[in-house]
Amino acid sequence: MQKVYDVAVFGGGVVGAMIFSDLSRAGYKAVLIEKELDVATGMSKANSGLVHAGFDAKPNTLKAILNVRGNKMYPAVCKRLGVKLKNCGAFVVGDNLDAVKELYNRGMQNGVKNLFVLNRKELLSALPNISDNITCGLFAKDACIVDPYLLTICLAEEGVVNGGAVALDYQTSSVIKKGNAFEISGSRGKILARRIINCAGAGYNDIASLIGSEQYQTEFRRGEYYVLDNSEGNIVPSTVFPLPTKAGKGVLVTPTVDGNILVGPTSYESDYDTKTTDFGLQDIRAKVPLMLKNVNLSKTIRVFAGVRVITGDDFIITNSKKVENVCNIAGICSPGLSCAPAISEYVIKKLLGLEYKAKADAVKIKPYLRLKDLSITAQNKLIKQNPDYGKIVCKCEGISVGEIVDAINRPIRPVTMDGVKRRIRAGMGRCQGGFCSDKVARILAKENKMKIEDVVKEHKGGYYLFGDLGGR
Amino acid sequence: MKYDVVVIGGGPAGMSAGVESSRNGAKTLIIERNPFLGGILKQCIHNGFGLHYFKEEFTGPEYAQKFIELVNKEKNLDVLTNTFVTKIDGTNVEITTEFGKKVVEAKALVLAMGCRERTAGNILLTGSRPSGIFTAGEAQRLVNIQGKLPGKNVVVLGSGDIGLVMARRLTLQGASVKAVLEINPTTSGLRRNIVQCLEDFNIPLLLKTTIFEVVGKNRVEGVYYGSVDERYNKIEATKKFLPCDTIILSVGLVPETDLIDMQINPKTKSVFVNDYLQSEKEGVFVCGNVLHVHDLVDNVSMEGALAGKNASDYALNRLKKGKQYALSHSTEISYTVPTMIHSGEGTAVIKFRVRTKITKSYFVLKNAKGEVVAKKYVMACLPGEMQTFEVDRSLINSNLVLEVAGL
Repeated sequence: MQKVYDVAVFGGGVVGAMIFSDLSRAGYKAVLIEKELDVATGMSKANSGLVHAGFDAKPNTLKAILNVRGNKMYPAVCKRLGVKLKNCGAFVVGDNLDAVKELYNRGMQNGVKNLFVLNRKELLSALPNISDNITCGLFAKDACIVDPYLLTICLAEEGVVNGGAVALDYQTSSVIKKGNAFEISGSRGKILARRIINCAGAGYNDIASLIGSEQYQTEFRRGEYYVLDNSEGNIVPSTVFPLPTKAGKGVLVTPTVDGNILVGPTSYESDYDTKTTDFGLQDIRAKVPLMLKNVNLSKTIRVFAGVRVITGDDFIITNSKKVENVCNIAGICSPGLSCAPAISEYVIKKLLGLEYKAKADAVKIKPYLRLKDLSITAQNKLIKQNPDYGKIVCKCEGISVGEIVDAINRPIRPVTMDGVKRRIRAGMGRCQGGFCSDKVARILAKENKMKIEDVVKEHKGGYYLFGDLGGR
Repeated sequence: MKYDVVVIGGGPAGMSAGVESSRNGAKTLIIERNPFLGGILKQCIHNGFGLHYFKEEFTGPEYAQKFIELVNKEKNLDVLTNTFVTKIDGTNVEITTEFGKKVVEAKALVLAMGCRERTAGNILLTGSRPSGIFTAGEAQRLVNIQGKLPGKNVVVLGSGDIGLVMARRLTLQGASVKAVLEINPTTSGLRRNIVQCLEDFNIPLLLKTTIFEVVGKNRVEGVYYGSVDERYNKIEATKKFLPCDTIILSVGLVPETDLIDMQINPKTKSVFVNDYLQSEKEGVFVCGNVLHVHDLVDNVSMEGALAGKNASDYALNRLKKGKQYALSHSTEISYTVPTMIHSGEGTAVIKFRVRTKITKSYFVLKNAKGEVVAKKYVMACLPGEMQTFEVDRSLINSNLVLEVAGL
């Protein structure tokens, strides 16, 4: 008889992966279903990487409650996974003290601790390059930065090592209730599960229509970003926002855990399309100097865009009223990343009524190894054990053959070049893979026992090259 | 490990520096990250190299081989391949190899790390980010080293030399090169490459034209392209779609200064040096494309030799310099290497580029009193062509300015 999962989770973003991991660690049989070739390929790969303190959301909304709770949960989650989390704090700066105080009060109502209203002089000591028009600001000490894709990948891996299954490249074609279980059919066979959690992000409504559960009116808002060279990594010590407007939190400048600087996002209504535009990039270019003076956009190494999926003012996290044993999670835009641990806790405890606590024998994943974070002695020891750790492939980020091979031979094996990049940063530096992508593609092909012609960048059909010279 | 001189980089600049340093009596080491010497020459299988240096035409690998043989002959010269320099500390370097990490001590250091290509991110290429966008050098490596075809229907953005060479190379491999788009009113590559790589193969060159938007989710499906005005604004009315599966970028080179912790000259995007190619850091010499991007490898080799000579003199306490003066330039000139120049013995070499096309003029070097110290006639020169100017150090006794003067 076919295995019946306790829970099927649609969507391998940070929320899906968190729920998948938490369920698996609590001893349930869970399956994570993802239509792309890898987890963390939608919103979870293209955002600001911030764990907000929680002062921004309207009091008593899910956004506010789950953000404050999520922020508190993050250190333990990241420590467990060995994912970098940096408590660098966040500033909101502007010229309207009333607006700053309003944010402060909202933060207090939301239960945010460690908020400080600062005058220009106080701001200058932390941010010497704030623009001349900035007179006041708010500092949220508890805000953090995190690597959102590595976090998502590690969570999904953690689900796997704790007995869960991941179905990648799974195009769902139907979901039918059969007895007390759902029969999910798709491109890679049938999956049976007693409960369904739909957190498919931009694909939420598609899955909901197959299940017969509630669909929600959805708005997409594109956010474009600049990524600056790590030579600029010290221009701000913390995340810096302008005072928020109706359109969102505005164009921010933030360090990343890996030493780059992100500048963005824009917020324009769009289709689900992650293209960058001259208009959007120009908009950012015009806005940044109003906040900070020293942001050198000529040091850009990449531009990208992500799309937020918005369903009204608050998240939708609820049990379906139409179909029993289906949980709807929709409209997880900002601060979705910050809320993810708390969303998982809320869903498992409150909505599913299941045990949330991890079992005593829950397994930890092996953290990703980055040689350059170790002492020279430790590096030499590893190189002696495995000379591949001394063969550097990605010169910009200093990543060796050994680290790439390790990143491929994981509980969830990456099959794409971007999958390798998100796991170990090969190709993430200033040359953007110009010197190493052919080498990475070769290692990927070898480790996965495939031909280099079959290696794709990110999506199915997105081949890296066209075979041998002279055709095949 | 201890050496008089350590050279970082085993491309044309580094090999030449290493050979010269060794010939000058210094115990020298060349460190190369690849399994072989030769640098980017190894993938440049086209001809046109060596006409100035060897008075004979070679392909890239042949030119490299000439120097590899010279390196092999030197008794005083060691080579470490498959070796990454992971840190520079004064004149000492930390290396990473399959045998571990260690420090190599040197009395003098020659930086010869070459340059890297500007990327889609650097030029803010907008649209989607699918598979099929390559820098020209990356495509060249795939074709010439790995024997793989990166694309079948190709648009080349930028008219740098590698892009032009790749337009021809891909055409010869059966790909269809739809067009070469250049945002500037003039090409940045050498004239001979425009003729031999584009015109001879009927590949259209569209000036004042650029990509407006990349289209394609999985693999590149095409580009929206069109004209730009004098201020490089895209003219929306000229926007057209061109189907293709590959975009090759040849949009400029940047010195590879990753390991260098010094003040950067915004004009060359590299460090400041004096006429001995010595940087602001004591004992650190710089040459080749890591100092400023050259047009011809022959010039790189010559500059490497000069750096190798001076570094070895420095290491052996033989470098005798006169008084140092500043060298500045007028607005017709975009930069000079060096920016500091010494009085004393021998000849100082000044390399520079002009900002716009110059015809029938003189390059003149003036002293602080406005007197002409040296001058050189120029028939015609383009921004893409590096200029050389030599001056007798005995004539130098004040700060200098390099200018362009009419006849």
